[in-house]
Amino acid sequence: MNIEYLLLLVCITLVPAIMSRSPGLPLASEKGALVRAVLTVSGFFWCWDIIATARGHWWFNEEYVLGIGLLGLPLEEWLFFPVIAFVSVFTWESTKYFMRRR
Amino acid sequence: MREYTILSLLSVLLTAVLDRTLRTGVLRKAHFWVFMGVMFGFMLIANGYLTWRPIVLYGERFSLGLRLVTIPVEDFLFGFSLVGMSVILWEYFKRKEGRDSEVRP
Repeated sequence: MNIEYLLLLVCITLVPAIMSRSPGLPLASEKGALVRAVLTVSGFFWCWDIIATARGHWWFNEEYVLGIGLLGLPLEEWLFFPVIAFVSVFTWESTKYFMRRR
Repeated sequence: MREYTILSLLSVLLTAVLDRTLRTGVLRKAHFWVFMGVMFGFMLIANGYLTWRPIVLYGERFSLGLRLVTIPVEDFLFGFSLVGMSVILWEYFKRKEGRDSEVRP
């Protein structure tokens, strides 16, 4: 199924995206910092990914991606890094919240 | 050459250097390792799925060829850096923006 990789990303994002609006977490109030962190991390990993894919370190199964791509990476792979960076920040703040750490 | 092995190791080193340079001190916090444990749990599911289908395939000559179930060991280092840098930069920008807004009249 061509939408499988995209579907996986949607599944990963769903709960954190909804829960990130929780008043106990500083994600909504720190949008600027969130966007800057996500884009900086993504920029670094996009570069790595483009080089690694070009070198043949890994590649993507055409059966499970939409077929839209840029610089050798499918659209889904471009979305992967912002998604994981956002989920990381959300889980980090949730961990601090539950462990009562500032 | 085991390029992926080398690059993934270097990225972990870079993560530690970033944490020191930006003075975020994230890696020294005990709850960071709890958090990383949780993220590794998520990773086993998401990356496990990616490598089991497989949606992503690997050039075996660039890595050690060691896999934890279906996940190449290098992916754990890659994941550590991706997740680690995300929270380090988040803490950094949060602090920086807080300081910027204090300066404003």
